[in-house]
Amino acid sequence: MSEFVQLHVLVSYPPSNLNRDDLGRPKTAVMGGAQRLRVSSQSLKRAWRTSDIFASTLAGHLGVRTKEMGTLVYRSLTSGVSLAEILRGANDAPATFQPVTEEKGRKWASEIAGIFGKLKSGENALEIEQLAHFSPEEIAAIDALILKLAASGKDPDEDDRKLLMKRHTAADIAMFGRMLAASPIYNTEAAVQVSHAVTVHPVAVEDDYFTAVDDLNRGDEGMGAGHLGETEFASGLFYLYVCVNRDLLRENLGGDEALTGAALRALVEAAAKVAPTGKQNSFASRAYASYLLAEKGCQQPRSLSVAYLKPLQDADLLGSAINALKDTRNKMDAVYGNCSDSWCDMNAHAGEGALQEVLDFVAGHHA
Amino acid sequence: MPEFLVFRLYGMMASWGDIAFGEFRPTADHPSRSAVLGLLAAALGIRRDEEERLSALSNAYRIAIRVDAPGVLLRDYHTSQVPPAGRGRKKHSFATRREELAMPREELSTVLSTRDYQCDAVSTVCIWQGSDSAPYSLKDLAAALNSPVFVLYLGRKSCPPALPVHAQVAAGENLAAVLSSVRFPDSDLLRGLLCDGDLRVFWEGDQDVGIPAIHTTLRYDNPLSRKRWQFGSRAEHYGVLRSRSPCS
Repeated sequence: MSEFVQLHVLVSYPPSNLNRDDLGRPKTAVMGGAQRLRVSSQSLKRAWRTSDIFASTLAGHLGVRTKEMGTLVYRSLTSGVSLAEILRGANDAPATFQPVTEEKGRKWASEIAGIFGKLKSGENALEIEQLAHFSPEEIAAIDALILKLAASGKDPDEDDRKLLMKRHTAADIAMFGRMLAASPIYNTEAAVQVSHAVTVHPVAVEDDYFTAVDDLNRGDEGMGAGHLGETEFASGLFYLYVCVNRDLLRENLGGDEALTGAALRALVEAAAKVAPTGKQNSFASRAYASYLLAEKGCQQPRSLSVAYLKPLQDADLLGSAINALKDTRNKMDAVYGNCSDSWCDMNAHAGEGALQEVLDFVAGHHA
Repeated sequence: MPEFLVFRLYGMMASWGDIAFGEFRPTADHPSRSAVLGLLAAALGIRRDEEERLSALSNAYRIAIRVDAPGVLLRDYHTSQVPPAGRGRKKHSFATRREELAMPREELSTVLSTRDYQCDAVSTVCIWQGSDSAPYSLKDLAAALNSPVFVLYLGRKSCPPALPVHAQVAAGENLAAVLSSVRFPDSDLLRGLLCDGDLRVFWEGDQDVGIPAIHTTLRYDNPLSRKRWQFGSRAEHYGVLRSRSPCS
């Protein structure tokens, strides 16, 4: 048996078209004989894996968020003071290694910064364009690399680069399996299972018939619009389910318990706050989860989608969806025996619980 | 009395892969032999590269499926963006998926596929020993399914079960007797999905199962080697289990 962490999320989106099929229609599914709106598993995973929240949560609360890492690395290389000391602001600390020339220092610092983000233009630029997050472990790894470069005098190679990104690479692959990348780490079984999200109520996809005016059309010849189009959309309250095999996640991460906890936190926070970005400019449909339920246990994991098999049609949709989820969970425990050992929830509808508590619960050790 | 292992498979979506060419990935309307064996292997913690253990599992058991609700077809248009691999000195390596997708848009290629799913489908799986050298007792299999090593899923990882599979060992004269007498405590939870009346059953092997075979087809879903992704053919019999009472 293994320990599983299950996550049940209710999130409500205003009119939007987050995940389209080949005709541009929002994706749908049938559940309990009624048509629902759907956001596919692959769409959700892409949104989470590419999100800032994911990267920053993984760096931990002790991490540093900066564009300036290249400048600091350059300062370290050319002064002989370790990067950790410089980050602490101790610029006049004693040198601990033989400094390198300014030319080499600039070149290497630029290469190291470039690993964490896109460098600004110009030869050997030190700044990157966007803020990047650096975990304490990454800063230690950069310090180790600085020592190595200063001692050998040789340029950094591909392996050095990989070493610096090890934490992010490991977490990404451990959770979602092997990438399509050129240098795959063979056959890592994804520890995270993400279901397709569907609405708890029936949905009819609507058409928005829109026209665009040609500003230079003075009406001399035709009075018509310059462009006609249709875009389809719908709104809905979605139920989504995620299951993490905690034992497999830890195994994929080489037994690193701290990183396993950080990865779980990153995943749950992303699931609660990050939405697919489809058609944001037309709909601005960003949303946070309204309800989160996390469960832990070794019993066979199961989704709670049967709570919505009979589509909900109440006026207080969110309230009844939350109640249906809790009811179903209790009913299932009653007829099958307990389906989990412990649970923790966050209810934004009632203003009860806190995301932080749920994060602490999922990252915590098995009781 | 012969013993049978019985469990229920239901999820919002399921996908029982059939013979697939290129980007079109069809689904059958009931679980394939390879899918059921995969579920058992996942429950037991047998890894995908353990060929010997997988083939021992495959040779030891016979499988039958009762279709409790056929479900409806869902066709999913699936796109996946891939970055260029580069050649020689320009060879890229990416640390994360985030990094892959941060490439300039015009450099990303898109892989398209069409993936079929069944929505609202419910089936009951029945397993019995087909040889004397079974690596696990039916009781062990039931225990593994109820607290598995790897997560169970209905053909694709994005299709989690939405009920406990509730694996149980039941004794009966034959397949028909067991399928008629077995009960699951989910009738309240699955209200509206389960149908009353006659149900389709698919099974394998030459013994008398107590259901007359209407016809027999060849299915290429008997897993031979996962490494080489090879499947052998098997004869699958089809018949109808007449109901004497509403099914639960």
